[in-house]
Amino acid sequence: MKKEIANFEINGRPYEVIVTPNMTLSELLRDSLDLTGTKHACEVGQCGSCTVLVEGKPTLSCSTLAIAVRDKAILTIEGLSQGRPLHPLQQAFIDSGGIQCGFCTPGAIMMAKALLDENPNPTRQEIKEGLGGNLCRCTGYVKIIDAVLMAAETMRKGGK
Amino acid sequence: MSEELSVVGKRLPRWGAHDKVTGAAKYLADIKLPGILVGKILFSPHAHARILNIDTSKAEKVPGVEAVVTWEDVPKKLYNPNKLDLILVHPELEFKDMYVLSEKARFVGDRIAAVAATDASAAQRALELIEVKYEVLPAVFDPMEAMKPGAPKIHDYAENNVSVHFGFPVAWGDVEKGFEQADVVVEETFRTASNHICQLEPCTCIASFAADGRLTIWSPSQHAFLHRRKLAEIFGMPEGMIRWITPHVGGAFGKYGSLSIEPVCVALAKKAGRPVKLEFSREEDFFGTESRQRFISTGKIGVKKDGSIIALQQKMIVDGGAYYTHNFSTTAVNMGGFTGLYRCPNVAADATSVYSNVPPTGGVRGYGNHEGTCVLEQLVDAAARRIGMDPLEVRLKNAKKAGDPSSTGIPMETCTFEEMIKLGAEKMGWKEKKMRKKETGTKRYGIGMGIAMDVSGAQPFTIQHRNAFIKFNEDGSANLLVNAADLGQNIIGALVQIGAETLGLKYEDIHVVAGDTDSTLYDIGQHASGGCYQIGHAVINAAEEAKRQLLQCAARRLGAPPEDLEVKARRIFAKSDPKKEVSVGEVVKEAMYNFKGEHLSISGKGSFSPTLNPPPFSVVFTEVEVDTETGTVKVLNILYVADPGKAINPATVEGQLEGAIAQSLGYVLTEDYTINKKTGVLDSDNFNTYKLVTALDMPETKVILYEKPVPSGPFGAKGIAQGAMIAVTPSIANAIYDAVGVFITDMPATPEKILEALKSRKAFI
Amino acid sequence: MKGGGMKPFEYFEANTVKEATQLLSNYGEKAQILAGGIDLIPRIRKGDIKTEYVVNIQKIPDLDHIGPDGNQGLKFGAMVKLHSLENLKAIQEKYPIFYEAIHQITSVQAKYMGTAVGNLCVATPASDVATALYALGAELKIAGVKGERTEPIEKFYLDYLRTSLKRGEMVTGVSLPKPSPGAGTSFLNLARTRSDIAKMCVAVALTVQDGICREVRIAMGAAAPTLFRATKAEGALTGQKASLQAIAAAAKTASEETRPITDLRSTAEYRKEMANVLVRRALEKALEKAKA
Repeated sequence: MKKEIANFEINGRPYEVIVTPNMTLSELLRDSLDLTGTKHACEVGQCGSCTVLVEGKPTLSCSTLAIAVRDKAILTIEGLSQGRPLHPLQQAFIDSGGIQCGFCTPGAIMMAKALLDENPNPTRQEIKEGLGGNLCRCTGYVKIIDAVLMAAETMRKGGK
Repeated sequence: MSEELSVVGKRLPRWGAHDKVTGAAKYLADIKLPGILVGKILFSPHAHARILNIDTSKAEKVPGVEAVVTWEDVPKKLYNPNKLDLILVHPELEFKDMYVLSEKARFVGDRIAAVAATDASAAQRALELIEVKYEVLPAVFDPMEAMKPGAPKIHDYAENNVSVHFGFPVAWGDVEKGFEQADVVVEETFRTASNHICQLEPCTCIASFAADGRLTIWSPSQHAFLHRRKLAEIFGMPEGMIRWITPHVGGAFGKYGSLSIEPVCVALAKKAGRPVKLEFSREEDFFGTESRQRFISTGKIGVKKDGSIIALQQKMIVDGGAYYTHNFSTTAVNMGGFTGLYRCPNVAADATSVYSNVPPTGGVRGYGNHEGTCVLEQLVDAAARRIGMDPLEVRLKNAKKAGDPSSTGIPMETCTFEEMIKLGAEKMGWKEKKMRKKETGTKRYGIGMGIAMDVSGAQPFTIQHRNAFIKFNEDGSANLLVNAADLGQNIIGALVQIGAETLGLKYEDIHVVAGDTDSTLYDIGQHASGGCYQIGHAVINAAEEAKRQLLQCAARRLGAPPEDLEVKARRIFAKSDPKKEVSVGEVVKEAMYNFKGEHLSISGKGSFSPTLNPPPFSVVFTEVEVDTETGTVKVLNILYVADPGKAINPATVEGQLEGAIAQSLGYVLTEDYTINKKTGVLDSDNFNTYKLVTALDMPETKVILYEKPVPSGPFGAKGIAQGAMIAVTPSIANAIYDAVGVFITDMPATPEKILEALKSRKAFI
Repeated sequence: MKGGGMKPFEYFEANTVKEATQLLSNYGEKAQILAGGIDLIPRIRKGDIKTEYVVNIQKIPDLDHIGPDGNQGLKFGAMVKLHSLENLKAIQEKYPIFYEAIHQITSVQAKYMGTAVGNLCVATPASDVATALYALGAELKIAGVKGERTEPIEKFYLDYLRTSLKRGEMVTGVSLPKPSPGAGTSFLNLARTRSDIAKMCVAVALTVQDGICREVRIAMGAAAPTLFRATKAEGALTGQKASLQAIAAAAKTASEETRPITDLRSTAEYRKEMANVLVRRALEKALEKAKA
């Protein structure tokens, strides 16, 4: 199986990584680049804990071949604050109490970002629908949805 | 509690939140060490088989493989992975029947061998090259079958696969007489659901021996000190040569009250001479870690026409799986919950614990009390219907009051069942809803309730011993050292709030060192919701000692007696003359750096062992709509009223209750840990087959915290998290019962079973 | 069981359909197409699929085209994502059951990543999307080394997880016929949770003229090893007065045409019974829409 050096753009930075075709994007992030914020909880695309944004689109990195997304802009949880203090979503998750064990949190935040990028003023129901692919075992989702609502309001008011 | 609290009771950000939202928080799989190897376990493909021979020669030759271990390489010491044999007052029934690697395969997924290699594909290749010669034996997958004469014997000592039979030691009264005196007797047999806790982080462990032989373990264990001792006993090591670290844990829910894969990981690290990380896949976590405790429970209730419960009896078969683990303890707690929830003059219970060739069960959230209370609460509703009384009124009639013993036997300082039932009923509109028209076309509306009491620790059954240490820094902040690990329940945040309040500091003024046996004092670990109530006191004691030292030093400086001094927001001032003030940091610094020889590293150690065990109380109401054509249950609304004593952090407490609602929904309706009855293979081994509820499956929920502080609690607080599911589960079952008059006696209450029950009119009324 | 991630394979990025089909032809059953990947990658990891060659078609231009086809219908290419289809007004308005089948998929990530064609090609009878397209009379555009062909979806499924694709062939697009004027359609399913694969899935299209059922299509999903149309039920209802009794009778017949299994999601008996209930309810809903 061929090993090759591929270029990746992750969180705005370029990386050269040795990849094999059978490497998933989540394995590349976690094992090759030490970006361990993206989690493996099921690796069958069912739980959403591995969600990252590829060209702004919510993507299950456990079900994506790394080699297939080289040269595409990838955003992970580590890149969300972009040099600021926290992104409004991150702050909202803290303030709402929407984090317990935190294992689902990065995936939920990345999915919520994609949701708010497309729909800056979602209803509670729309947020539920937006998070349908993100499992959480701790929170019962209530305060996660609260967090997304809070963040949406902050962002609409121009909060950064 | 007449003083204004400035930290306790506030919705402060959970401890560790910043790291969790930025991806910086390191969970077990995230931890990397130089030279670390990938560990993998070879599991038995057979449900029951003798191991005749294991040939690892080919596996050892795979490039990158540094160690292969089998039964030959591990200590031949039987153990019970459950920590209770170390702390129970009566540990006689904590049987030890497990080895690090099994000498005989007893379920599909039993641990047979293990490999450590430089990368995962080498490890996988090596696993495939290990040649195991099995003598496949007949297997049995159901405890009722396992007890029959002629059934294959799973453990040598267990005749008819029965590990033990025991009666509830604290039974009282005379149930036979009680049932005779009852006006109505209801008896039914329930099979509790086959269920897995499915914490999102797959089980992972890291073991690393230093050159001097000292072992460091990173593990999700809830009992670092206890499991350290257990591991030390297994491997014949002194405890002091083991450092046990618990980083962020992605959910535990009681499952890591057991040792899991640490012993195998240690065996690999020992043989390889390099650190090893053993990381389960989701599939391996499903069959390779303990599933929820299971019981076949025949419950019997006797009531008088006036609604008083006069007799309660439970006979159980404990469906524990291939190894004993928590079979005794969860059963004892089940019995305690069943007999202890209500006032009842005659109670009895007994249980037979049985082996079968399926993955072992353990003790997860609810720890048997969940299963016992679910049976009891459904019997209460059935009995209520038979005597024509509102089940809410039956509960009010029999609910315990302050001064009564809880299910642990210890008298309760408070009991808020009556107030909470009435409050919940009013908020829910219980009376009106009970009377409303049920039928709309093929849909049936139902409303049900459940109540529960759980515990704040395991007093009086086990050693409960907690310690905390606080030391001050020159800037006026303090370090809190506690062994408690953050499993997601924010115990650390609660302890920080308690410490800060006691010390007169702000929440952010306390830095935490946690989850490391090297730097923290002894703590028995987290179980039975004992953390907040018990460690909270240890923290208060530590804080008061540290504060005493601080004020002593400050008194010299300010020329005022220590009794006159107060600490607030990092400043110490004299109450009689507030102009006399100094910063905490100044006092600390001076105590460290003075030239007078009056040196002190201002700190405090606090210890706590409880005598009481105040139960948290829950009352839950659920509304459902059942489609009688499809059997589908739609949960419309859940109201949760809970009494945590004092919510140190209300957001944290609410989060526990909301999460428990989701888990109960899954338990009652959608989660089925499906073991193939022909092969013993676990068919539901990932989230595509085992269905957790999603955000879209959640009903409307409302949580009300009804705080009645307990005098013995730190700031009045009790535990809450372990017991949080207990009242929810029966409230859903009872709502279905109210809607369509059937109980599903083996959960999950799937549409298939409901439809079947409706057709056969199998309602035990 | 987790292995060392996925077993090794060789990887190709096809730039044209021709390249892709040539590779598929060369490697036959040892090759798999990578479109969205949400079905393929987990199955390779779990060892359910053993593949030696992965052919990535994501870079082939024009496979992401959606637009009207010549006959007032709609066509879309193999790389069109479920999310794009869900948000297309033309689909929401003209093919509502297709919209509903996609919309009720809970994972937004799966809808951004997954393609409708990929979903169809898995060939599980429990696919909601496939069931809806079955009722709509979709046609698949297939390309192979020998050229192109069209296949009605009703001929596409041969057996459980088996399609009519020959060696070297791939589906390049789907076309939906112009919706019958005045047709009422309905899609219903049952599942253990919102995110689970359907236990039973039904999509119907009903055209009523002067109170008589003119065109009846009843597509049954999760009811047999492949998707199928309940042709006996359809035949029984066609030409009948559009009444609740006629519908009830047709539903009963449709149920008798099913060959469901018992698995960890449900039982054969329940599925058979639910086929009756869902077909009846779906036809009743479709009738309401047809009348309106």
